[in-house]
Amino acid sequence: MPRLLKRFFLYLAVTGIIVWTIAPYIWLIISSFSVKIDLLTVPLRWIPSRLTLENYYSLFFMRGSESVNARLFIHSLGNSAFISMTTMFICLVLGVLAAYAIARLRFKGSNLMVFVMMATQLVPPIVLVVPMYVIMRQFDLLDKRAGLIIVDISIVLPLVIWLMRGYFASIPSELEDAARIDGCTHLGALVRVILPLSGPGLVSVMIFAFIAAWNEYLYAFIFTNVDAKTLPVLIGEFSTKLGLEYLRIAAAGVLASLPPVILALVFQRFIIRGLTAGAIK
Amino acid sequence: MKSSPLYLFFSMLLALSFMLASCGAPTAAPAPVATQALATEAPQAAAEAETITVIFPKHEADLSGAFEASIREFEKQSGIKVELIQSDWDSVANRILPEISTGGSAYDVVEFDNGWVAEWCGAGWATPLNDFMSAGYTEGMIPGLVDLFSCPDGKLYGIVWNNDTRFFYFNAEKLAAAGFNEPPKTWDEFKQMSLAAKEKGAVPYGMAPFWNQEWSLGNEFHFWTYAFGGQIVDDKGCFLFNKDPNTLAALQYMMDSLKDGVSNPAGMTYNQAASQDAFLKGDSLFMPQGIAGLMAYAKDPSVSKVDGQIKVGLVPGVKAGMSAALTLPEAYAIPSKSEHKEAAWKFIEFMTSKETNKVLAQEIGVLPIWVDLYADPDLTAKYPFWADFQAQLQTARGLSKLTWYGDFVDISTAEVHKALAGEQTAQQALDNMATGLSQFECKP
Amino acid sequence: MTKPRLRSLFDDPRILGLLLVVPAMLAILGVVLFPMFNSLWLSLQQHDLSRPQENAFIWFRNYIDLLQDPRYLNSLQATFKFSLFSVLIELTLGVAIAITLNQNFRGRGFVRGLMILPWAMPSIVNAAMWKWIYNADYGALNALLSQLHIISNYRIWLAEPVTAMTLIILANVWKETPFTVILALAALQTIPDDLYEASRVDGATEWQTFLRITLPLIMPVLMIAGLLQFIWGFQTFELIFIVTGGGPFSSTEMTNLRVYATTFRSLRFGYGAAMAYLTSLIIFIPAVVYIRTAYRKVVEA
Repeated sequence: MPRLLKRFFLYLAVTGIIVWTIAPYIWLIISSFSVKIDLLTVPLRWIPSRLTLENYYSLFFMRGSESVNARLFIHSLGNSAFISMTTMFICLVLGVLAAYAIARLRFKGSNLMVFVMMATQLVPPIVLVVPMYVIMRQFDLLDKRAGLIIVDISIVLPLVIWLMRGYFASIPSELEDAARIDGCTHLGALVRVILPLSGPGLVSVMIFAFIAAWNEYLYAFIFTNVDAKTLPVLIGEFSTKLGLEYLRIAAAGVLASLPPVILALVFQRFIIRGLTAGAIK
Repeated sequence: MKSSPLYLFFSMLLALSFMLASCGAPTAAPAPVATQALATEAPQAAAEAETITVIFPKHEADLSGAFEASIREFEKQSGIKVELIQSDWDSVANRILPEISTGGSAYDVVEFDNGWVAEWCGAGWATPLNDFMSAGYTEGMIPGLVDLFSCPDGKLYGIVWNNDTRFFYFNAEKLAAAGFNEPPKTWDEFKQMSLAAKEKGAVPYGMAPFWNQEWSLGNEFHFWTYAFGGQIVDDKGCFLFNKDPNTLAALQYMMDSLKDGVSNPAGMTYNQAASQDAFLKGDSLFMPQGIAGLMAYAKDPSVSKVDGQIKVGLVPGVKAGMSAALTLPEAYAIPSKSEHKEAAWKFIEFMTSKETNKVLAQEIGVLPIWVDLYADPDLTAKYPFWADFQAQLQTARGLSKLTWYGDFVDISTAEVHKALAGEQTAQQALDNMATGLSQFECKP
Repeated sequence: MTKPRLRSLFDDPRILGLLLVVPAMLAILGVVLFPMFNSLWLSLQQHDLSRPQENAFIWFRNYIDLLQDPRYLNSLQATFKFSLFSVLIELTLGVAIAITLNQNFRGRGFVRGLMILPWAMPSIVNAAMWKWIYNADYGALNALLSQLHIISNYRIWLAEPVTAMTLIILANVWKETPFTVILALAALQTIPDDLYEASRVDGATEWQTFLRITLPLIMPVLMIAGLLQFIWGFQTFELIFIVTGGGPFSSTEMTNLRVYATTFRSLRFGYGAAMAYLTSLIIFIPAVVYIRTAYRKVVEA
């Protein structure tokens, strides 16, 4: 196939990918700047006749008296950020070590541990929350950020371990052997050889860990009330007895999706090739 | 080495997270500025001030924080501090359950929905209020509302704060365009008027019901059954829904309305909000179960095109003169494990008093629980359509009081939805409900 | 003298391995172990909160009842359908997108970062958005399709079982595919250029290169991603609850929804716990088989 044609199809595919990814989100953004009655018009106008900031305004100010909402939104945002970052960091450290051990070191019980980890992921969390609630209450961890971090780790850590294990497993063992011959310990080989080589994987797992903790809903909902409330929980409260307040959720959703996307945009450069191109040599 | 930028970024992230942590340092429940000022100026008495934790949903009409303002007023008058937790109905329900079912004492005043009464009575989760109430406290309240919150032992366990009775609204202008000047008195007229209006092009459908397979379909089942004079269970909890011909007629009417074009078939996927949206846009003629505050929504140009067009009528019946409505009230209750019951009662007493009820009614249009207030000159001036509500309030009935109400809704929504979709007959649906709930059938 | 011995002690794979894994295990099990046993114990009992006088230890009655419960069995098959189709589409689409994004083109970095957007959206927002898009009378899907003249009348998509299931799978795929894309993309980075060179020199077509070189090398990551997404399919809650509520007439009712309704709404904690564990067991078996055969072969190879 001639090169020009190939380029054409490539850009066509890329455009398709962008449209597929962005289109619903664009609609979300448009909705968030719209007035409800305009969204009900048939035939639907993609750019509504009037735009409004009311939905965003209502996130930060209540019509009437106090501006409690502003503090609530920013407060939840801060909670989400702190909890997600801490969870991500702890899970990366513990997870990388454990994944390395499982992938590379043959020791008794490694398979059992993998099975046990998987088993814990299979149980629907809904049925675990009530006994967990009792424990958290016992240790006075309810509505505290530390409490949520602890339970989030139990969800995110298995994810990190599984994914990193996969990446470690795909690195040829000759490289590690070479390092060990040179006198490195296992841990040394991990730090000097394996981690750099699995850079792209590491970065992608880091992004996933952050987002998993950022968007976690069930535990965040049950174990927080006011002080440690995270952003998804706050968004989940935008409803009345009649149903979800779609426009307010859209506005909050637009804002809530931005930090993870910015994070991804910043870190995607690390998911690049070139780290291993010459490694085998 | 590629690893050094990674470490650099880790440290940056840590630094960033600590920065953000300082912004979002945990504070007490967000309190308006007024209370903070109060806290500093309150003398030594504040050091001994009792604190109660109150959790209940935001009232649909409470966009300006009127309830919270009343609560701060209570704090001022009583010296009791209130830690207020307000969110949406679902969140409140799901928050209360783990705490209360595990014997926790974190809450002192909780939301008590009329659908939960039998369950809580069975589980023993609420405190009887008779120990705290002065005799005759509830005289003067709408009697139908009060009784809904008593347990089989005869004691009262909740006092209503949200009189969520639903009313029959119709679009008078479009009805007139179809050639009718009076709202329907029977369900047959309802059908005729809907079809006529549709033919004349005034509206696409008579109604856009909320028949999605979710919790509120259980409410609809109750409403239509009551509206047709049918029964669901008797007071011992024995099944009547599969034996009462009126109940069958009600379900059949629902199904037929979809086939005949009276109901918008999209209603099979609608929740209450979508149903209301359609009515406020002018795409349906009737709203058989509209909230009390619908008129306020109708005036809001950002959600409504029907300002000045809608009126309140009586729910039609099988025969002229018969009418029944559904009420979904919510009450305040004191959990049995609460450690501040006296203070909790003072809160309930204040918030449900005639004075507070009037203030809230005045400010945000909360439907009163005190009969007198419907004759109050200030209120009737502001809400003239309340006169139309009064007649309906006499005939309002609540949801079935069953310890297995959750199961009832679970099974009835599935079976009713199947029937509405035309996948089974009405009788089959009711029979399947009876089979599915057979473990709860009363023993003769 | 002790230093080298200590060092070699730490270097022993068996000891080091345990040492590195134990903190992680503690962090996970410390949180979930007691709740798991507690609810497992509960699953062997009749424990309806609103009828405490009927509490009893009934051994495996709950499990037996579940296996005959048509609503539960229906939810199992619905969830399997949902998860399986979601995973297959996510993997295929994900790999295709990853390969495209691995090519050189202007703005590649930006598109890669943007790719995470669906996965980054909180699930409540995602569910609410799709419910609105699928709205029968006013939704964007109907508007789009009719303005493109693909359909002549608005359709009530969520009222028909086949279209409802298709649309929630679509929503789920939209949300979850970035996961596969990013993982596959990272895995593609580890394939050295020389392999592609060699293949080109050999005269292989693009497709053959993909099948023989690319696919086998990213297979380990894909298998993990597939397994995870299959399991996550079973954990899906908000999407179904908000968009269809399990309808039309329970055709999209997932097991997670049943567990929620049984425990939080009907307050039947014993039966609900049994439902949860039975479901876990049912997924556990194919998952173990999958790991034993396919995954082991590929990863350890």
